Amino acid sequence: MSTLDLIGVSKSFGRTEVLKTIDISLASGEFLVLLGASGCGKSTIMNIIAGLLSPTSGEIRIDGKRINEVHPKNRDIAMVFQSYALYPNLTVERNIGFGLEMRGVPKTERQAAVLKVARILKIDGMLGRKPAELSGGQRQRVAIGRALVREPKIFLFDEPLSNLDAKLRMEMRAELKRLHRLLGTTVVYVTHDQIEAMTLATRIAVMRDGRIDQIGTPEEIYDRPATAFVAEFVGAPPMNMINAILDANGLRLEESGQRVALTIGADAPREVILGLRPEDLHLADASEEHAIAATVDFAEPTGPTLIVFARHGGNPLVASLPPHLQIAPDSQIRLTFSRKNMHIFDRASGNRIQT
Amino acid sequence: MNAGWTATRAWLLMLPLLIVMLSVIGWPFFDTVRLSFTDARLVGTGGDFVGFANYERLFSSRAFRRAFLVTTQFAVVSVLVEVVLGVLVALLLYQNFRGRNVLRALLILPWALPTVVNALLWRLIYNPEYGALNALLVQIGLLDAYRSWLGDPNSALVALIVADAWKNFPLVALISLAALHAVPHDIKAAAIVDGAGALARFRFVILPYLAGPLMVALVLRTIEAFKVFDIIWIMTRGGPANSTRTLSILVYQEAFSFQRAGSGASLALIVTLAITVLAVVYVALIRKSAGAQF
Ligand SMILES: Nc1ncnc2c1ncn2[C@@H]1O[C@H](COP(=O)(O)OP(=O)(O)OP(=O)(O)O)[C@@H](O)[C@H]1O
Ligand SMILES: [Mg+2]
Repeated sequence: MSTLDLIGVSKSFGRTEVLKTIDISLASGEFLVLLGASGCGKSTIMNIIAGLLSPTSGEIRIDGKRINEVHPKNRDIAMVFQSYALYPNLTVERNIGFGLEMRGVPKTERQAAVLKVARILKIDGMLGRKPAELSGGQRQRVAIGRALVREPKIFLFDEPLSNLDAKLRMEMRAELKRLHRLLGTTVVYVTHDQIEAMTLATRIAVMRDGRIDQIGTPEEIYDRPATAFVAEFVGAPPMNMINAILDANGLRLEESGQRVALTIGADAPREVILGLRPEDLHLADASEEHAIAATVDFAEPTGPTLIVFARHGGNPLVASLPPHLQIAPDSQIRLTFSRKNMHIFDRASGNRIQT
Repeated sequence: MNAGWTATRAWLLMLPLLIVMLSVIGWPFFDTVRLSFTDARLVGTGGDFVGFANYERLFSSRAFRRAFLVTTQFAVVSVLVEVVLGVLVALLLYQNFRGRNVLRALLILPWALPTVVNALLWRLIYNPEYGALNALLVQIGLLDAYRSWLGDPNSALVALIVADAWKNFPLVALISLAALHAVPHDIKAAAIVDGAGALARFRFVILPYLAGPLMVALVLRTIEAFKVFDIIWIMTRGGPANSTRTLSILVYQEAFSFQRAGSGASLALIVTLAITVLAVVYVALIRKSAGAQF
């Protein structure tokens, strides 16, 4: 049970600035998920927390104490690496128990701890094998086991479930959630999988190019994205982004000139983006005034929903509609939405405009 | 196309090479075997068949046993020094520091020098009148007076081993350095986070990646060291008092200095056999260590 703070942390490799003033403050027992495109600096943050890289500037604190100068092995942090990083010539059992072995835990105690973790991860049948004799998913679980067995102050997971099949992934996700609730250890977790992020996180940090665009609870991130980037990055299918002009009377869609009356306005006309999540769009009745007209490209039934890909002028528009609707390609549809589900962003800066 | 023709064609394609190999290696080899059962002299008569007499005489001779011991000492100690020094230097040059690339380039120098040049350089260093080693040791006070390092039966072999190790450790160092670069970064990081100290990291993380390439270097170097001739011939000619006379030197003396082609041949075959045994054992070891890792 430990708090973790990153205060103004930046990192440059030579002249390339990989992290730019990262501020994160985690309460004890929080589960932070780092979300962001490949190369945005997620692993770099993990390595800095673990002490494998030192930040160019800024401070890292555990339980309020600065640990910049503390050696990785004394930080009491366990890490699961993106590449598994198993010791090739040690058995699964010794791989998992290695951290305990290095810390001088007696053999019988170690074996018991390893067995317990291996059971949870369903790899107790392969303790005698070498990593080369395991599948990718099994190796990943050994890597997770090596962290779990330690019972550290902080867990760092760098995409720990990326190589598992869908079913195992769901099981392991549930297992990690259960373990987190049980142990209450502070976790920093990197993933590309939004469902993983939404279900596991107490807070999500969405990163772009070495910056945190927004950090907040899954609900905050989803319901009130702070930037157009966050809005588009979180959610599948992604949020529709429609160019519009905000003026004194409300919104005017650029493609069609159609107007949406709003309570807020701008004195001088301002270029904005209207963001609408696919699941917030509904088929409009003929009587509905504020509806967006669109031409259907095609529709994909996914089971619980029908994903309709359409165009509003040149603007692509995706809608999640109830299944079993008959929507033919090239047909015209009208989509409506509720005002409270609108997201408006400044087009130049990408920042949310309060509505 | 049937399997029979494929095999036939393979043999046909290899035939020219086989003929060359048989004539330059096969024929001399069989002739050496034949010679080893005769009392032939280097010049003159073809000699008479004497059975195993040459072998019996060799195995019971003190010169042979002494040479075998000297060869083994030379090979074991020099290869050991090369491996330890090579790995240490590789670990050093693997660190990140200014001038690392310059040192890496310099490293290859001793190995790139021809053995003759290396041997002559070390003869200068060991020179009893103006050698650098004497000057150094006397100046720092470790030695009272200049010594003849190569002229003293007690120090000649050690001096040779130093010279040979100096020439050949860069090979081991380079192979080790390449192996070090093959260790995945994340595994090293994982071991650090797991709390492994420098020694444990070497043992559990580095060594598994080093073992295979190092074993190959070990094989090559042991076999080479076992048949060493040139550096010794230039520096001591097997002396003083035969204290540096290895098997290859003995073969040379027997066959050419004493002109006993028959017994020289039998001696040469014994050396060949010993090296073959070494090679087979090592290849088995390499197979085993490679299989255990990957
Ligand atoms: N040692 C290094 N030297 C120079 N640049 C580096 C180094 N390590 C990482 N980078 C750069 O830093 C950026 C961030 O890398 P990082 O590994 O943190 O990305 P990531 O968010 O984890 O990506 P992914 O999702 O693909 O794992 C990348 O653009 C990468 O090229
Ligand atoms: Mg990464």
